[in-house]
Amino acid sequence: MKQSMSFADILAMTLHDTKNSLGILFNNLEDIIAGCRSQNCAKHAEFYMLQYEIQRLNNSLIRLLSLYKAEKSQLAANIDYHAASDLLEEAAASHEILLSSRGIKLLTQSDDDLFWAFDRSLIEGVVDNVINNAFRYAKATVRISAAQEDGYFVLKIEDDGTGYPPGMLINEEKQPGFRREIDFKTGSTGLGLYFSMMVADMHVNRGKKGFISIVNGGSLGGGVFSIYLP
Amino acid sequence: MQQTQKPEINLKTKKVLVVDDFFNFRLTLKNMMRSLGIMYIDDAASGEEAVRKMAVRLYDIILCDYNLGTGKSGQQVLEEGKFRGHINYSSIFIMITAENTHEMVMGAMEYQPDAYLVKPFAKEVLEKRIRNIATRKLNIRNIETAIADNDFDHALRVCEELMVQNPRNLSEIMKLKGEVLLKKADYKRAVEFYDQILERGNVGWAQLGRGRACLMMGNYENAREIFENIIAQNDKIMPAYDYLAKTLIKMNDPREAQNILMKATEISPRALLRHKHLGRLAYRNEDFSTAESSFKAAVEQGRNSCFKSPEDYTSLAKALVHREAPQEGLKILGKALKEFPDNNDTRLHVSVAESYVYTRMNKTAEARRALTEAEKSAAELADNIPRELALELAQAYMMTGDTDRGAVIIKKIVSSHHDDEEMLADVRAVFKEMDMADQGEELIETTRDEIIRLNNEGVALARGGKLSEAIAYFEKAASHLPDNKIINANTAHVLMLDMKEKGAREEDLTRAKSYLDRVHKIDESYIDYAMLMAMYRELSAGVQV
Repeated sequence: MKQSMSFADILAMTLHDTKNSLGILFNNLEDIIAGCRSQNCAKHAEFYMLQYEIQRLNNSLIRLLSLYKAEKSQLAANIDYHAASDLLEEAAASHEILLSSRGIKLLTQSDDDLFWAFDRSLIEGVVDNVINNAFRYAKATVRISAAQEDGYFVLKIEDDGTGYPPGMLINEEKQPGFRREIDFKTGSTGLGLYFSMMVADMHVNRGKKGFISIVNGGSLGGGVFSIYLP
Repeated sequence: MQQTQKPEINLKTKKVLVVDDFFNFRLTLKNMMRSLGIMYIDDAASGEEAVRKMAVRLYDIILCDYNLGTGKSGQQVLEEGKFRGHINYSSIFIMITAENTHEMVMGAMEYQPDAYLVKPFAKEVLEKRIRNIATRKLNIRNIETAIADNDFDHALRVCEELMVQNPRNLSEIMKLKGEVLLKKADYKRAVEFYDQILERGNVGWAQLGRGRACLMMGNYENAREIFENIIAQNDKIMPAYDYLAKTLIKMNDPREAQNILMKATEISPRALLRHKHLGRLAYRNEDFSTAESSFKAAVEQGRNSCFKSPEDYTSLAKALVHREAPQEGLKILGKALKEFPDNNDTRLHVSVAESYVYTRMNKTAEARRALTEAEKSAAELADNIPRELALELAQAYMMTGDTDRGAVIIKKIVSSHHDDEEMLADVRAVFKEMDMADQGEELIETTRDEIIRLNNEGVALARGGKLSEAIAYFEKAASHLPDNKIINANTAHVLMLDMKEKGAREEDLTRAKSYLDRVHKIDESYIDYAMLMAMYRELSAGVQV
């Protein structure tokens, strides 16, 4: 019944296992931080850095597994209606503490009656990824916003850092048809980009596909990542 | 847009159950809950322990890991909890998984958790999730209670009131509205409603709902196309396979229906009810190898499930006979006696099947003895014998030489299900196995004619304007044939025609409704049901004014 395992399958199984260990590590660390804080120990800020790295690792693994499944064509978008404010609030809840440990404020902005059909966990994967980047580059503020623009749902993540290097800017004109080959020399950023594009691509509605754009400037003057969903 | 102000949810008084096979993770979860101020926290290290605890105490919040090692899985804990009423509509069930939910297939809607949470997560995220779910449960409580009371019009009104407020759980309310329209058998409105949603996005559940409405209205071609489309887009939406198989059976293509279910069990091997269905279908299609493997899977998976039944074992035993392994079949029947409580239902199932296996082994004496056992249990169960079992009992009589007694039972079955092609196919199979296909066909034909004549006489009375006589006639017929959907549907119909002339009365409406309920229970996709329900709604609207 089962065909023999490919190296990719073995890799995927190992990734699952690694992810489980990371999960335990993450939560144990959280307990330690909680204990630390209750004793007013100043060290807990440093622990947050550890937690940040674990989260980064974890996000990479999730991305890798998603890409592996896409390759095996097991990955299909699971589209449902979601409130934009729900998505943003939850993203804020999961990143706020870590960001505030570096003195970064997280702002969210969306209309209460903005709803859209999308795959929530895939989009969350994209958002986590971008916020994790912003954690390294933002000075004091990260802003996530959702809005409707020309029949697309736009999710923007902005920071007040120095902005993306010119080579990383993508689709500055915000063209719906925009596609680009990813240069993997940029390392994990390339993988993150590739994943974001794949997720955008998986969102199809009435002949239109999603797309992404990376520019500098925006309301905070730093990097602006946007994903547009039809 | 106005937002209903958020009611503050008090978590401190909630009773919580934490289920995980890892001590370490249970501890972490308990610590998280404690830090939210929750006092009452139980934990369980296995699915079995979780179900035992849920039986004694109604928990407000259950945090359950999906993968619990060797015993019951998290999904089975959820299913059993809902099935046995340990989880009601106000309880919160969160399924915790190690990986992205994409790994998981989408199962039946009624057995889905309130949320999936992927490890690891911060306690802030868990708290947010719990609060959000609690708020939205409060929000839809009125809809749920109206549905539970079968007050669909009220449920729809509440849905519509809530939808204009754009609450966070808009999607959930839209889902409920669609379900209510389907339950109400208002298929035309259901199609319109789902189309509206699909205008705005390619949402899987809306496509599924639209397909179901088509199936119920008898637009099989349409329904088939929709379900096939859903699967082409996302092959993990499992209910689409089940509805597609249902549609194909209606279209008289049981082979293709079997293929579809086989594909579904390949993608999602852990689905007990689907294995049972596939086994029955394959058995009927005389694909005994598939029947054997499906029933084997049903027996295997049933071990930890609340959906296990003696029928899985007896069906497997019968399939094994056709696979030239009757001894193994007998062994399975022995296991059934150990696995299920020692009562008439179990004994009847097992001894009827035993009689079948022994007959096929040419052990006449043993077969007779088993049949005598079956008779005893059947006598005690009297009218509570399920129809599939009644057919098997009839078969046992016929195979052991008592053709007349078998025929009497079969005649009764056919008169109740004279237009149920699946049931008739089973009846034909019984006769065919006895090399009596012609006699079987004759029995079906004559019984069918009798019922049709009986029905037509009543219809003639109604057409001739003798409605009171027609009512008396059909009500009498319905009392003899409580499982015949056409007789019951026509009884309701004449009652309502009479009310149309003379005005509706509460009491007659209730009577008509009880016949309509029977029809829906016998066949939920009965073609005329929607028309009759529309008539019923019109009449009851008149009464309320």
